[in-house]
Amino acid sequence: MTEETREKLWDYATYLMAILIALFFLTPLFWLLSLSLRAKQEMFLGASRFIPKHATIANYLKILSDPTFVRYLWNGLELSAIGALGCLLVSAPAAYAFSRFWFTGKSALMMTILAFQMVSPLVILVPLYRYMSWLGLLDSHFGVSMVYIAISLPMCVWLVKSAIDNIPKSLEEAASIDGCSRFGIFWRITLPLAAPGLASAFILILILNWSQFLVPFLLITTDSKLPISVAIFNFAGSSNASSTQVLAAACLVAVVPAIIAFLLLQRMIVGALTAGAVKG
Amino acid sequence: MSVVQPAIGIERSGAARSSLRLRIENNPFSWLVPVALMLGVFYLYPIIDVFRLAFTNATLLGRDEIYTTATFKALLGSPELPDILMTTLVFVAASVIGQQLFGLGIAVLVMRGERRKLKGMTALRTIVLIAWVIPGIANGLIWQMLFSEAPFGAINSVLRMMSIAPVAWLSDPTNAMISAVISNVWRGTAFSMIVFYAALKAIDATLYEAASVDGASSWQRFRHITLPQMRPAILVNSILITIQTLNTFDAIISLTGGGPGRATEVLSLFTFNAVFRNYDLAGGSVLSVLMLVISLVLALGYASMLPRREASE
Repeated sequence: MTEETREKLWDYATYLMAILIALFFLTPLFWLLSLSLRAKQEMFLGASRFIPKHATIANYLKILSDPTFVRYLWNGLELSAIGALGCLLVSAPAAYAFSRFWFTGKSALMMTILAFQMVSPLVILVPLYRYMSWLGLLDSHFGVSMVYIAISLPMCVWLVKSAIDNIPKSLEEAASIDGCSRFGIFWRITLPLAAPGLASAFILILILNWSQFLVPFLLITTDSKLPISVAIFNFAGSSNASSTQVLAAACLVAVVPAIIAFLLLQRMIVGALTAGAVKG
Repeated sequence: MSVVQPAIGIERSGAARSSLRLRIENNPFSWLVPVALMLGVFYLYPIIDVFRLAFTNATLLGRDEIYTTATFKALLGSPELPDILMTTLVFVAASVIGQQLFGLGIAVLVMRGERRKLKGMTALRTIVLIAWVIPGIANGLIWQMLFSEAPFGAINSVLRMMSIAPVAWLSDPTNAMISAVISNVWRGTAFSMIVFYAALKAIDATLYEAASVDGASSWQRFRHITLPQMRPAILVNSILITIQTLNTFDAIISLTGGGPGRATEVLSLFTFNAVFRNYDLAGGSVLSVLMLVISLVLALGYASMLPRREASE
């Protein structure tokens, strides 16, 4: 067998494996879609009606016409976005310092910040729950956003630092010669130049915040303030076999924004992720 | 670029202020203040407080607390803890091994496909990554619909169509653990895959060329070039995903809720139940300390295995 025919055979094997892997990863989502398009009667037909004979969007209409459900979606978006934006604001100066200053203990400090990521949110929530209750921050989006910010800070600092690392220093030096202050350089030159990196960090954290469950689950008590992730969990607890098709639709609606955000900005996110992963 | 802060033209009293400002601006630590504040208030202080609370008898119901080591002794000596730790160990070990092997396999496959210029490799990478952006709660709910023993359960209804007896995926203790691991591997593999993919891309191609010239088989190339070059990535990834899996909470609570019985009650869920179901703040704090210690030991253990060059970077 020549080298080329052997490689050809391996190509087929690669495709076969790729298809099997794709099936494993896609089937759960297709199943969710299939269930969400069914009427109650077809639920009992299981896999034999993978493509529903009487596909219906009634389940979607039902949840999307429910004002509380739309509210949950909005809450999820609001918390994720404020959390991600706040995180950038807090981490950008630190990332600048780590990228542009040289001082003793710098790498130790960076590792310390990263070490916080090893701490489960559950650990900090045990005492935070009491403090936030004293401070009157329980059940407030402000309090929850602050915890979101803190949780994604370690990763954000590292992501923004690697974005700033990639900016040539000469532009900052030119501005410095023109008499620009350090903060002015940071604000008017470094950050705008780092915009693509900042944007990918923002989107990545936005997507991760969208998945947050524990923090809002514990810190928010008013139903109308809950984000979608907690709402679908509560809904699952209250639903029964006859409303699974509605739960499937709700799940899909909760999942789709994250998938769309990811697909649109895939290249940026994968870039940020691999840069962070290799260095971190 | 316009001149932003003219050094000239500032009145005298402003000069002192601007020199102070310069000192602040040029001190790296002042740039770190926001991060330090946030991490201090929302991480460091709670962590310290967890240690303090572990030595009290505090509850969420808010009675007066006294300092005692009784909670510590009671929890560490409780007959449930070994079972919980065993469950956690099985869940974490199986998930981490599964995610790494699967992630490495997919990364190698995608790299091979790209080298051969096969179509669809980016699509495959994207499909795997989509699972990663799905919220943990949704992950648990989706897999519940797949494993469900009700008529709409995907896997069992396929088995039924093939006239195979349905499997008690979630109501049998052993199967429930397997189900939890599968769902976790489904969501978590993407992270390992992308780490390994980046590490594979970073390997110098000339190493492979040299090996080919020497007549190395593809298995030998994988064994003697790929794996050694990937060592740091594999170790770093091990630390990250072990700790991530140890902290996994949402995907399990929505898939099995810890059941049946306590078959899938991992340490994080046990801690959660202690505090927020039994209002046992002190007990939950002891468990939190335990979680912290386990994470720390794991991180140090893995870090000590890293080659020096990597550690200093």
